[in-house]
Amino acid sequence: MKKKKKGSYIYLGILLFLMYLPIFCTVFYSFNESKISSVWGGFSLKWYKELFEDREIREALLHSVILALSSGSLAAVIGTLGAFGMSKTTYKWNEVISYLSTIPIMIPEIILGMVFLGVFSFLGIPLGMGALIIAHTTFCVPYLFVMVQSRLIGMDKSLEEAARDLGASRIRTFFDIILPDLIPAILSGLLLAFAMSFDDVVISVFVTGPRTNLLPVKIYTKLKTGVTPEINALATILLLATILCIFLSDYLGRKRNSRTTEKNF
Amino acid sequence: MNRKRILGGVIGIFALAFVGCGKKQEELNLFTWDGMFPQEVLEGFEQETGIKINYSNFNYDEDMLAKLEETKGGDYDVVLADDYIIELAIEEGLVQKLDKESLSNFGNINPLYQGQFYDLTDEYTVPYGVGIPLIVYDPKKVDFEIKGYEDLWNEKLKKNVAVIGSHRVMNGIALKTLGESFNVENLDTIQKAGNKMLELAPNIRLISDSNTQDYILSGEVSAAFMYTSQVNQALTANPELKAVYPEEGLGFGIIAGFIPSNAPNSKGANAFLNYLLRPEVSAKCVEFIQYYSANKAADNLISEEFKSMLVLPESITEGEMIQNVSAQAEELHGRIWEEFKKACE
Amino acid sequence: MKKKKSNPVVWTLFPMYIFTIAFVVFPLLYMICISFLGRSDTWGVIPEVTFEHYKKIAEPLYRETFLESFQVAFLSTGMIALIGYPFGYFMARLSEVWKKRVLLLLMIPFWTSSLIRMYGWIIIFRSNGVLDQILMGLRITKEPLKLLYTYPAVIVGMVYALLPFMILSVYSSVEKMDWNLVEASRDLGASRVRAFFTITFKLTLPGLLSGVILTFIPSMGLFFIADILGGNKILLVGSIIQEQLTKGRNLPFAAALSVVLMVLTSMLIGFYRKITHTKELEGMF
Repeated sequence: MKKKKKGSYIYLGILLFLMYLPIFCTVFYSFNESKISSVWGGFSLKWYKELFEDREIREALLHSVILALSSGSLAAVIGTLGAFGMSKTTYKWNEVISYLSTIPIMIPEIILGMVFLGVFSFLGIPLGMGALIIAHTTFCVPYLFVMVQSRLIGMDKSLEEAARDLGASRIRTFFDIILPDLIPAILSGLLLAFAMSFDDVVISVFVTGPRTNLLPVKIYTKLKTGVTPEINALATILLLATILCIFLSDYLGRKRNSRTTEKNF
Repeated sequence: MNRKRILGGVIGIFALAFVGCGKKQEELNLFTWDGMFPQEVLEGFEQETGIKINYSNFNYDEDMLAKLEETKGGDYDVVLADDYIIELAIEEGLVQKLDKESLSNFGNINPLYQGQFYDLTDEYTVPYGVGIPLIVYDPKKVDFEIKGYEDLWNEKLKKNVAVIGSHRVMNGIALKTLGESFNVENLDTIQKAGNKMLELAPNIRLISDSNTQDYILSGEVSAAFMYTSQVNQALTANPELKAVYPEEGLGFGIIAGFIPSNAPNSKGANAFLNYLLRPEVSAKCVEFIQYYSANKAADNLISEEFKSMLVLPESITEGEMIQNVSAQAEELHGRIWEEFKKACE
Repeated sequence: MKKKKSNPVVWTLFPMYIFTIAFVVFPLLYMICISFLGRSDTWGVIPEVTFEHYKKIAEPLYRETFLESFQVAFLSTGMIALIGYPFGYFMARLSEVWKKRVLLLLMIPFWTSSLIRMYGWIIIFRSNGVLDQILMGLRITKEPLKLLYTYPAVIVGMVYALLPFMILSVYSSVEKMDWNLVEASRDLGASRVRAFFTITFKLTLPGLLSGVILTFIPSMGLFFIADILGGNKILLVGSIIQEQLTKGRNLPFAAALSVVLMVLTSMLIGFYRKITHTKELEGMF
């Protein structure tokens, strides 16, 4: 028994190592003095300096964060309400719509990008942040919808019924009983949606406007004109920021948990 | 409590998203590839005029044209792109005429690059840089002398060649080896070049528009056909590499700036183009992008280090530009290219 | 409004219905329409109904590309299933704390640019790169392998990019499984292996299959992997769509290719539903 477990640990360990290998290489080469990425020119921090002085990258980062947060939240509202409504009703169309809504993550992104460019100009929606939010929301909705839906299926209905029996309105029941129970599902859906939005190049390239530089698009265009260690430095910073965010949310979550337990006792 | 906080946060984010749009500063929307300007050049213009530059990027000329079409020539003020696509944009009425009165530096342009096919009367465009794709090889790894395109077909280079990812350029060099022009309209001739392309396939290691200099420097390939800026970067990093001006004839391309027909700030756009034509600014730009200078007045200001690379030798005056061809010819070129790629594996 | 007898819950459905119809269904219909229109000389379409784009897809060149792209997708999906299934399975059997940690480790790379991660593989694979140095250092090989820009490199890229989707699908499927069944079969004398194949594997099949779908479909479209790691030589359906859209300036043909790809994709999902008898893809995450 013990031996078997060990084997599985080794397997997990090796695969995780392989998954992080290219990332480590990227981080390592961010300290490369040489501009040519295939030549090691000695240790240097100059690319970090260059990165911090790069105004376009800073703007692009800001835009990308705003975009990920707004399309994520919009998708959270649409997806949560949709999943909730569908769990309470039995329309024939529910199934059709829920299938259709997942199409954006089922087909290659390039198709979506192309189609959005055409449709937005057809509808007269100007390219830019608004168009980007709509486009990103389409592929964020499925993540939120599916997460919330699977949570709703496993939910205990008795509390909700009790609240209704005691005379709480539907809206109150939703906000006080159902929503708090859905929060973990919404959050994990959001995390995925943010990640997808933050990484999307192909769709963004098509619908971005003159004032909305986005980070992934910037990275993509930079990679086309030449891979410099500045990109590696950027990846390193993103990685650090991600890890920091995770630790922070973990820490805050734990703190809040301990506070609520205190209150309970 | 918590809910309100989340709600507040969300509203805050949305507010933040729109604050940026509210400000009424004069802006200039610049649209071109990444890395076309040194930061100091853009900042210099901003400081002088107080106009804020929004620099956004595309990767392919065609993406740019699609954007211009969908916005009907609006949204962007200055676009820098390749010659052939500018011809199409002008044809479609997506480009406005330059305001020559405010372009006091227009005379600095090297006449060699004026009056070209895409803008015969120089009414719409300002050339920014000139590129001539060249063959670069590593003499240590190639035991014969490469003189022209034909040598890329040499069996000794099996799986050792990197080429440009543009179908017109590549089919074009096949045409050149047959002694034809880049812009042949005869479909049979193009097909002949297509057959010749299939013979090149065994030698191809990779097809790439970007970072080709890296591949030859790291030894991934021993010969490569690449763009001017890549040639310069490769030679700077390893002076032992050899650049070849192919004997069959050169192809050159011009990157030029233009103002879309419904540009929101065409006055600023003209001012910006005029600023770019200043000799000292232009010299900084070509040193940065490593293309040949299209600005005669700037030639003398380019530092000695780069002069030989960025000012085209006087001896080279002949070169052919790749122009748009008929729809059938274009279609055939596209098909040849896809067949070539398939044959490459 | 409350006085009406209609169920107010209906209103919560509106955003989802409207959004899906306006920004998913309508655009797709738009694309289908475009695929039947003629190509304009510059960019866009001319109002002229034609079937030529679909006829063109049937030509050997494009048919073969579809086949080849399917091959790449099959191969990478197969590899992903072989590697990812055990991972998801082992992961679900970890202790709660470790489950969370491994899950986090899987998620972190998602947050850095996928393009940059692909360039990380270039550093490893290129001549005299990390891999060559190690292999030559260990005297396993004598000269650089030249792995970059080959078929295997593309497969590695695909596996790397899509593996997490498979792992997460399998993981959530194993998580939900009723272990009592396995124990019962063990009690009845089934061997470990037998119990695994008759019970565990069967119960987690929906997860595995949804992982297959979530990896198979994108692997036909991820053109930038074929571009970066394959040196642009291996044609995927996604690469052709991209090429037609950009360099070819042929919007309707790209739309037609997309429609065909989507139909094939939908058939695949329909097939999945049929054999697993589920409506939704199992534990997409």
